[in-house]
Amino acid sequence: MLRDNIQKALAPLQLEQVAVGDYAKTGCHLDATAAPEQMPAVAEALLSLGCFLESLTCLHYPEHFTLVYHFANFQELCRLAVHVKVPFDQEAPSISHIYPGANWYEREAYDLYGIRFTGHPDLRRILLPFDADFHPLLKKFGESPADA
Amino acid sequence: MLERGLEEKTYVLNLGPQHPSTHGVLRVELEMEGEFIIKADPDIGYGHRGHEHMAENRTYAQFLPNMGRVDYLHALAYNQCYCMGVEKLLELQVPERAEYIRVITAELNRLTSHFLWVGAYLMDLGAFTPFLYCFDDREQVLDLLDYLTGSRLTYCFYRFGGVPVDIDDDFTAGCRKFIQRLRGRWVDYDNLVTKNVIFIHRTRDVGVITQEQCIKYGLTGPMVRGSGIPYDIRKSEPYSAYPAFDFEIPIGERGDVMDRYLVRMREMEQSLRIIEQALDKLPAGPIMAEKIPKRLKPAAGEVYAAVETARGEFGCYIVSAGDTKPYRIKLRVPSFGNLSILPEIAVDTLVADLVAILGSIDVVVPEIDR
Repeated sequence: MLRDNIQKALAPLQLEQVAVGDYAKTGCHLDATAAPEQMPAVAEALLSLGCFLESLTCLHYPEHFTLVYHFANFQELCRLAVHVKVPFDQEAPSISHIYPGANWYEREAYDLYGIRFTGHPDLRRILLPFDADFHPLLKKFGESPADA
Repeated sequence: MLERGLEEKTYVLNLGPQHPSTHGVLRVELEMEGEFIIKADPDIGYGHRGHEHMAENRTYAQFLPNMGRVDYLHALAYNQCYCMGVEKLLELQVPERAEYIRVITAELNRLTSHFLWVGAYLMDLGAFTPFLYCFDDREQVLDLLDYLTGSRLTYCFYRFGGVPVDIDDDFTAGCRKFIQRLRGRWVDYDNLVTKNVIFIHRTRDVGVITQEQCIKYGLTGPMVRGSGIPYDIRKSEPYSAYPAFDFEIPIGERGDVMDRYLVRMREMEQSLRIIEQALDKLPAGPIMAEKIPKRLKPAAGEVYAAVETARGEFGCYIVSAGDTKPYRIKLRVPSFGNLSILPEIAVDTLVADLVAILGSIDVVVPEIDR
């Protein structure tokens, strides 16, 4: 089963957490938490199992960013969500050399949140004009809810 | 002024943003050597409206009409995905009859999307007549959906927990009449387009995508099925009432533009089969779940819901912080991933082939831009 294979492939990487998810509730069969520097190794392990990068996005919390990677597979139903906490002053390693499809997703995360990816070949804005001076999805914590 | 020496071999050509074959406001910056493309760089974002930002400022119900405007060609699938996500968060059970109505309307909507694609795509390739055929057929579906939902393009028909309006005998009869009519039209399309020698020469072995590329770029929908991977969310991750129906997933062999065209054409017949079975088996019962809270305030948590739209996998990733508004909604749109492969497959092709390739991706640019 693919779920077991993914767990087996991720075991040597010693991620913070790899747990079986509640599919009926969250839509994910596996939930993992990883450190930013582990992501390229995670991506390589998943590519060797034939998984594809379904989506990559960012969440803004008062203390840190969280990158959320979703991986799925064409042959068998198994969705893996990887949560990666990235401190505000830190860059996340790019996985675009492993999954070329991540190139645009990482540009989008940079565009909307200002989070930077180390090793990205072409980290430009993608949706907003190139000369925009703000990152629209950053939350304004501590202000009135109307401005959030 | 830029000085250029005579030895300079390449030049830059802008395709778009107002080019008819870009189907929306998309600009592709091409570096050319003679007639051949050396480098293609798509420039997106002209239609960025900030749907994901709007989501954070609206209640769950207020965001629902936005979903019809992300991809306006297959709006009902987007409605459905968002509703599925919120229903999972709220732990709502949708009645079976409502699921059937959702399937029928979503499949009708898929037909309208494919019709528009076939017509517009052939117009890109220089054939005007198929466009008129497609719009004739598409009009019939739009009338049916108009009758039921009240709108013709940006539908907002599903509700959390079901559908607001039940289907009646007139609608059912109209659907059956339409299915019968369309079955007689396939032969016209085959004679007019599929067997057309100019069309075959323009599309065979052009823009080939390998299975490995599908995985690396996260392609979905007819893009992967054209390359021979039978990946369709309706089968691989069954949702709504789809497990109850018998249908096939058409796949291609070579992964070229022609295969992607054939996949979409054969998929339309499968949609007809699904609609027919759903009408036959339509169960009686309520169309809305009971006891839906007036004020939607899902518990903290996150959910990923996915549906198969006309263009591929649409995923709705909703993060709730236990508030009446979502903390974050990420719309994983199929065209975004599908278009990202263009710089790779456009290299060493002619501009005329690029138009054929770009069209075969079936991009809806406002969906990419969100």
